[in-house]
Amino acid sequence: MEEMKFEDALKMLEDIVEKLESGSLELEQSIQLFEQGVKLSLYCQQQLKQAEGRVQRLVKNLNGEFKLLDL
Amino acid sequence: MPNYVKICPGRDAKIGDNMNEYLSVSQLNNYINRLLIGDSILQDFWLKGEISGFRLYQQSGHAYFTLKDEEAAVSCVMFKSRVRHLKFKPEDGMEVLIRGSIAVYARQGKYQIYAEEMQPYGIGELFLYLEQLKNRLKAEGYFDPDKKKPIPALVNRVGVVTSQDGAAFQDILRVLRQRHPGVEIILVHSSVQGVDAPLELAAGIKILNDYSTADVIIVGRGGGSFEDLMAFNSEEVVKAIYESKLPVISAVGHEVDYSLADLAADLRAATPTQAAQLAVPDMLQLQAGIDDYQQRLLRATGNRINQCSETLDRLMMHRVWREPEIVLGKSEEKLAALQKELLDVVIENWKVKEREFSVSVIALDKLSPLKVLSRGYAVVRQGDKIVQLVEEVTPGSRLQIDLSDGIVDATVTNRERVERWKR
Repeated sequence: MEEMKFEDALKMLEDIVEKLESGSLELEQSIQLFEQGVKLSLYCQQQLKQAEGRVQRLVKNLNGEFKLLDL
Repeated sequence: MPNYVKICPGRDAKIGDNMNEYLSVSQLNNYINRLLIGDSILQDFWLKGEISGFRLYQQSGHAYFTLKDEEAAVSCVMFKSRVRHLKFKPEDGMEVLIRGSIAVYARQGKYQIYAEEMQPYGIGELFLYLEQLKNRLKAEGYFDPDKKKPIPALVNRVGVVTSQDGAAFQDILRVLRQRHPGVEIILVHSSVQGVDAPLELAAGIKILNDYSTADVIIVGRGGGSFEDLMAFNSEEVVKAIYESKLPVISAVGHEVDYSLADLAADLRAATPTQAAQLAVPDMLQLQAGIDDYQQRLLRATGNRINQCSETLDRLMMHRVWREPEIVLGKSEEKLAALQKELLDVVIENWKVKEREFSVSVIALDKLSPLKVLSRGYAVVRQGDKIVQLVEEVTPGSRLQIDLSDGIVDATVTNRERVERWKR
């Protein structure tokens, strides 16, 4: 699941919730989907917490290399 | 015509007065040319007309065309050095204003206009230039809707190409942080107007693609005059946006209908503030959305389980569980019959085996040591061991003697060897 794109995970989660809500599944299948849904929702939540909130500026130094400086 | 004398020195007669006095064609054209170039009005004027027969000669670079109105036409030429400065491409049917002068083209004996400048009539030159650039870039596919990249649902890093001193950057910064406190912002400073702006903006977009891990790029500036925003109409910026692998949101001030950057961008925002709103999700809302999914997962699964357990309850309430004999009555009779049959077979079998057993017991009985004992023999034991020879005991040894009906404890008082077979 590490490689999964956030929107894909969110979309899958949405599909699972809708399937479960349709109520037409075998019990065993719904429990499998439930487990998968919980994993996906935890993954999404975890993705939300990954950024650090910095503001940086990308500048070229004298050697022509690009560096990130804090603003 | 007093001028005549000056122009053709040495000839006193008026033209046509005397068959002996004549001019060469060259002289005539030359004379007319001098008349024309001597006239200050004809040497610098603006002329309005519709272009027709426009030809740009590739080799010379000069442009030849005719300007006309409903009733008249005049030949024009624009030399390469002037053509180069045109901001737009003249086309047949276009109404233009040209500034120029008149002179005679002696080889053909006709006068023509030597155009210095040309401007589209009625609309600004810049506007026409933009219109033409837009059409060309469109034809080349730079604005294709198919090429638009989606903006990711979750954006944690935003690249911004704008002026670090502009209000636009402050607006973007404020809104990004408001919606997503954890967002990382990577600024590439660029001028946003003036001659360097197009190349700097384009370079900024490329740098963010090459050297950063931004999820999306915002390129823009606050509002300004039409001319101020021209950098965002440049071919360089359009191409950089088109070539960007990261999705680009354009954010050019909203005073104009559109910029070419807007057309090339994956998403167009009317202002830098709006661009920031489009770039990152509102994290609280996103979080609430996921929470909602979790609740629904629990509820839906809970419902499903309740449904199943209710079905089970209903099944268990069925009469068969409380009064199974009703359903099982007949089966029970059949079972009893089977049980009886089974029992009969077992008993019969058992009787046969019992008979066989008692026969075996009688045979075995004849061999039994008990039979031997009953004939008067005894078994002498010392502890667990059966005594067979005299030397196994000594006087005082305690022995047990098994008789047919019991056991006798005895003590040895004497022992004597007897030669049984030699007697």
